[in-house]
Amino acid sequence: MKAISESVVKKDHKEKMNGSALYVGDFPTEGMLHGKLVRSPLAHARILSVTLPDLPAGYFYVDKDDVPGENIVHVVQDDSPAFADGEVHYIGEPVGMLVGPDEAVTAQLAGAVHVQYEELPAVLDMEESRVNFFDYHYSRGDTAAAFAEADRIFEETFTTGYQEQAYLETQGMIGVFDASKVSVHGSLQCPYYVHTAVGKVLGAAAAGVQILQDYTGGGFGGKEAFPSFLAAQTAVAAYKVGGRPVRVVFDRREDMEFTSKRHPSKNTYRVAVKDGRITAMDIDVRFNSGAFTTLSPVVLQRGIIAAPGVYNVPNLTVRGRAVKTNTMPTGAFRGFGAPQTFFSVEVLMDHMARALGRDPLEFRREHLVKQGDLTSTSGIYHYPVPLPDMISEVLEMSGYEEKRKQYTAPQTGRYKKGIGLALWFHGAGFTGSGERDFIKAVTAIEKTADGKVEILASNSDIGQGIKTTFAKIVASELGIPYEEILIRNPDTDRVPDSGPTVASRSLMVVGELLRRAAIKLKEEWKDGEAQRVEEHFAEPDFMIPFSLEDFHGDAYPTYAWAASAVEVKVDSLTGVNEILGCWSSFDVGTPIDYNVVVGQMEGGVLQGLGYSSMEQMAYDEKGRIRNNSFSDYIIPTAADVPVLEVQMHVEEYPFGPYGAKGAGELPLVGIPAAFVSAMEQATGKEFSHIPVKAEETLDV
Amino acid sequence: MNGQIKFILNGKDVVYAGSAAARLLDVLRDEYGLTGVKCGCKEGECGACAVLLNGQLVNSCMVAMGFVDGSIVLTIEGYKETARFAALDKAFAETAAVQCGYCIPGMVLAAEAVLAENPHPDEATIRSGLSGNLCRCTGYNAIVKAVQAAAEEGAGLW
Amino acid sequence: MVGGYIPFGMQEALEILAGGGCVPYAGGTDLMVKESAADTRYVFLHRIRDLKCITVDAEYFICGACCTYTELLRSRHTPAILKEAISQIAAPAIRNTATIGGNVANASPKADAALILMVTDALVRLQSKRGVRIVPIKELYLGRGVADILPDELISEFWVPLSRARLPYFYEKVGARKALAISRVSFAGIADVSGGRVNHVATAFGAVEDVIVRREEIDGMLTGLSVAEAQALKGEYLAAYDAAIKPIRGRVSAEYRKAVCGNLLGAFFDSHIK
Repeated sequence: MKAISESVVKKDHKEKMNGSALYVGDFPTEGMLHGKLVRSPLAHARILSVTLPDLPAGYFYVDKDDVPGENIVHVVQDDSPAFADGEVHYIGEPVGMLVGPDEAVTAQLAGAVHVQYEELPAVLDMEESRVNFFDYHYSRGDTAAAFAEADRIFEETFTTGYQEQAYLETQGMIGVFDASKVSVHGSLQCPYYVHTAVGKVLGAAAAGVQILQDYTGGGFGGKEAFPSFLAAQTAVAAYKVGGRPVRVVFDRREDMEFTSKRHPSKNTYRVAVKDGRITAMDIDVRFNSGAFTTLSPVVLQRGIIAAPGVYNVPNLTVRGRAVKTNTMPTGAFRGFGAPQTFFSVEVLMDHMARALGRDPLEFRREHLVKQGDLTSTSGIYHYPVPLPDMISEVLEMSGYEEKRKQYTAPQTGRYKKGIGLALWFHGAGFTGSGERDFIKAVTAIEKTADGKVEILASNSDIGQGIKTTFAKIVASELGIPYEEILIRNPDTDRVPDSGPTVASRSLMVVGELLRRAAIKLKEEWKDGEAQRVEEHFAEPDFMIPFSLEDFHGDAYPTYAWAASAVEVKVDSLTGVNEILGCWSSFDVGTPIDYNVVVGQMEGGVLQGLGYSSMEQMAYDEKGRIRNNSFSDYIIPTAADVPVLEVQMHVEEYPFGPYGAKGAGELPLVGIPAAFVSAMEQATGKEFSHIPVKAEETLDV
Repeated sequence: MNGQIKFILNGKDVVYAGSAAARLLDVLRDEYGLTGVKCGCKEGECGACAVLLNGQLVNSCMVAMGFVDGSIVLTIEGYKETARFAALDKAFAETAAVQCGYCIPGMVLAAEAVLAENPHPDEATIRSGLSGNLCRCTGYNAIVKAVQAAAEEGAGLW
Repeated sequence: MVGGYIPFGMQEALEILAGGGCVPYAGGTDLMVKESAADTRYVFLHRIRDLKCITVDAEYFICGACCTYTELLRSRHTPAILKEAISQIAAPAIRNTATIGGNVANASPKADAALILMVTDALVRLQSKRGVRIVPIKELYLGRGVADILPDELISEFWVPLSRARLPYFYEKVGARKALAISRVSFAGIADVSGGRVNHVATAFGAVEDVIVRREEIDGMLTGLSVAEAQALKGEYLAAYDAAIKPIRGRVSAEYRKAVCGNLLGAFFDSHIK
């Protein structure tokens, strides 16, 4: 293990451990106003009129007419209003906000706002959507010819459901507008995304916009784009009331129902096989975007680039669509489009192997990509692909081969067991040229005259430990004790825009910028003098420039790799499955703090297991999400997965700090396929969807 | 009938004059400023608001103030002053068991309840003891290991 | 006191209830989920010692209505079948406050402790200022969420016949996960088989219909038969339940509920009628 990997006490350990860390809901509420959103009860309707109840003194109603700038929340595109303008497009769409000094009274008044609607036809089912927000195509080789020459053709459609981030802290913001400056702080991943969004709704009304991140109780993507909405709405309310802070903190049901979640998907794969080898794939991916575009283009891009999996597919045609429905806009969730397609391709590999009479692992091994091979977008796997070794590690940890053989024999008795395996990657950092063209990260290190060193970056610690890993990098280069490096929750008045906390990029990209900045500071170090060094992103020159037009080039500079085995036991009397264990090998390059990285891996694996086995979310015939509480949307407890083992495999990336690559998202991505593979062995059935319900595995 | 609600909060006698129907969670946070007690769901389904009531783990969102009369309430703010907390603190730090931190005050008190009942719990006992405290970040391994380590290193404290 | 009363004795509590307008508060774990009206007044029962007893006499296991699950789990008197069901309820923090009386009074078909009281044909002792009545638990259930408890009455005790509570049993709870799970189907069966004869069989199904299912007349098919005769009747017995159970659909389908009921009943039969 490298010295940098040795674990330290996390920067934010103390205040989180003893309960003194302030999350947005923890700020004293004296003098604050509470905001409660008034939401659409219909999936699609025209607003005819809004009638307010009698508002006592000090209570306000805020809606589109109060927006001083543009009534638009900027995400990637500009189609989402801050407050509905004439029409509502999904259940829960904010129409207005009731603001007042007493929280209970405010909520009561919000419920008494009478909005008259004319109901319009709503499209809930992806299949019935006639609107493709995005429709991407790419191909390489000659897919048609490969299918014409094939001796076997497989076709299968896979579906995946919603997944709710279920962070323990709900969304919340506090905004105050004072002397033409607006300050918003709250639970968020991306201060500068929020900065842009708030700036747009306030326009010229705000001479200054300041965004601060509070301690954030988990994000997992759920606090990537959504906080831009809540912050924009809160800022407009703060602007209207002027001077007094406005606080909006969601309750759990509101959060589960009316915030973004993972895109449900429906993915059809056609595969040509000749002489036992895959010669072509023709893949059609569809994601349910909900009523607005939000992050769908980028989620979809990552999803379709990952569509052929970790395999060499010489001829490839991929289409990806994000379709509009009158449902809650979906968004970012750890894995960002890739879990849907990796689930599909990995389960398909099992199904094809079975149909061809092949061992699924051998079949996979024969098709694995290796260093120098072309990626799906005709980029190159520039660095070694360590999957063969990682597979061996997982086989040994899990006892896969013996168990697989044992469970293949007919199983009698009440319980049936199975073990399955999946392989995947996660492209490290932003997809395509986003880092170079849009983010253009800047980070800084400041030193005071008395030698105190502070890291200035806009990446937020949402539990993943970025304060710790950033501080370790800077401490290591400067030769200063880690404990002495300062790093605070980001405040856009103080930190440059080093980009958002997304895409498993913070450590790999910004961490490397900080490492270089620290080297620079060390070289220029002058005792007794205040100093500041800055570092700007530059794309590594080995990259084949990526073009979004034709999906050509290096979509990612490098990849994090994973292999995982899951073992299950199914009760034939009840259909209930039990996860006996999950064993994984992950390569995220050099772990910048072993504990931090293993914690990311373990947490991600359990989220993946939940996604596969128990996390069920559906809407009713009106488009209302039914699973809106922790008793209805079931996530794993400490008792559910007794064995969850992780091993780190290190394949260093020379352009990441000390060889580190992206880490956070990787562990979740392929877990569902390993789970389903195990379930298929246990039950003798085939599944092409997640989550798998007990109803489907009864009497096996 | 009686008048005000009296209880011991983090070692101090307190008198609460508000409604007996109010939630302990809200009273702890709003009246006493004990924001280490987190609100995750207000439905007893997540454990973020867990406190010790007469030494037993309870979800403070599921407790009305009348139920607290004559009781001893310990929140993370009181517990953090104890040697037992120090042992858990060290163990949680060494396994990096704290990620987003939102479940942690409740989780720590759940760990205390596990160890108070069984100073040498096996892994299954720990997992079952923590099973009412949801954590979405860690996958629970680091937390379970931390409780095991605290039990070993804090021998005699429980 | 605003918002409630904290009586110290049973008579005081019954006086308050007789006055009307109050909601008995046992453990609070169901009450506190509902948003209560601003003028709600609770009668807190935790100080009443009579409601906390756990004991056995020659015939019955007796427990006070305000015994928490944790208290019942810790008592050496609590029958194993009840402990098994209780140990799978929710998680420690809930078990530390939720009471057996609350579980019954809410009249939920998903109530796991109530299922055991049903299968053992427990008696419920109700008290009011007007007096005492003792009713078989089955008669207490009028419908989903509706128990035959008058506004001035409190459940004071449960009496569980030891002759039933100590029989070999079969208990299964089907939930969506291993802790913090609400029953999707629950099943309890007890059987007294000795000297080659089936002396008593009782089953109860939870989370299936609007109230917990307990059909003595079907179980009675087996009573008094030799084991061989009973085994020959297995198909008929299962078919009788299959015809009787009319599951509701909820988070899981009615068909699933029914199939699981049949499977568990069959497994109970095979393991205990022999």
